[in-house]
Amino acid sequence: MTSRLPLLTALVLVLLCALAPAAARATSERASLHASFSPNRLATPTTISFGFSLSTTEGAAPPPLTALVLRMPAGMNYTTTQLGLAICQPAALLARGLGGCSPNSRLGYGTALVEVPFGVGSGHEIPEIQAVSGPSPNGNLVVLFYANGVFPVSAQLVFSGEVLPDTGRFGSQLATTVPPVASVPGGPDVSIVSVQTTIGPSHLTYYKHVHGRRVPFRPRGVAVPERCPRGGFPFAAEFTFSDQSRASAATTVPCPPARHR
Amino acid sequence: MRAQSEHVALSQGPSFEPSRAWLRYAPLTAVPVLALLLVPVLAWATPSRAATAHASRTFSLSETGHLHLTSHHGFTLNEKGSASGTISGTIYIHLNVVSTNRVTAEVNIYPSGGSLTGHASASYHPAGGVATFNGTMAIVRGTGRYSHARGSGLSFTGTVQRSNDAVTVHVNGRMSA
Repeated sequence: MTSRLPLLTALVLVLLCALAPAAARATSERASLHASFSPNRLATPTTISFGFSLSTTEGAAPPPLTALVLRMPAGMNYTTTQLGLAICQPAALLARGLGGCSPNSRLGYGTALVEVPFGVGSGHEIPEIQAVSGPSPNGNLVVLFYANGVFPVSAQLVFSGEVLPDTGRFGSQLATTVPPVASVPGGPDVSIVSVQTTIGPSHLTYYKHVHGRRVPFRPRGVAVPERCPRGGFPFAAEFTFSDQSRASAATTVPCPPARHR
Repeated sequence: MRAQSEHVALSQGPSFEPSRAWLRYAPLTAVPVLALLLVPVLAWATPSRAATAHASRTFSLSETGHLHLTSHHGFTLNEKGSASGTISGTIYIHLNVVSTNRVTAEVNIYPSGGSLTGHASASYHPAGGVATFNGTMAIVRGTGRYSHARGSGLSFTGTVQRSNDAVTVHVNGRMSA
């Protein structure tokens, strides 16, 4: 019996060593999500605002984000939206920024906060994120996100998300792959700490030609579902990081007040 | 209506107008015998058989419709316009966007002397100012001179102008009427 004790102790230690990193990974990254509709009225075209924050339980910056899936409530109505009447080519967006694209390709805008793996350790804002409609190789709606970083990360970045059908409480999902963003050439990648963005007509102006004149108009947005499920409109997000760890978050947009239904 | 090509698929069927005058003089005991004799005839003349017992023709249908939005309700665009091709007339489409990349549709065409109704299912691909759809349609019923219209697997394609929801639709394939 006593001869087995060292063996058992070693076995337990080996198991603990094997399990500890997995446990740490499972609880390391934290994510929060928020979403809103403006206006929040049933069956009414709206601007969707959503944002997320990423952190670790240790207070450090999360690993670089590689993928994001944003799931949106069933019943969102894409039928009559006028968003994305033009297509923006990624190469033109990279080369000339928003100036390389038709204003009728704009879908929304936002900001991001990134953490660089050097310096004072505080977050740095990327003040300009633009969402535009991109070419669709698979026949699905494609959202191109253009991030224009100036300092300390000077990088213009384009990454795309594809709107796919979803199931159950969710009607669609925006599946986005985030490429690595080097902090400095050859250096480690930056970590995304938070993103705020919109998809919708708020602050967007489109143009159409009427009798030879260029006439501005505000495009119709995606419509809020006709019915609000118990507990509100569900949103959920799943995040994948460069070390293959994952985090998820969920939120709801409250049902509109009865007078707005 | 001009058929681009047609041929007789089923010749004129037998007439089912039996004279009943002799029944008035038949003894009652003959009724069971008569019933037994009629069973195979009635069985042959079931509704499905009866429906095909007419001069039906098979068409190569090639239609193009240009429609504009009349209203929309929820996920359904209600469209009206004109169809031209093998059959000409007013066309109505209820285009229902069932998901981000799928539509179903009810198509009604009203040529002179009747109507045709079809159900379609198609993939839906919004891309910039134009969304395209591509799928198949079945003709499920007709009225008047098209009361026996049937067809399935017809190609159903088209576009939606997303700025004003105007629809152009093409239907091609073979149908019988």
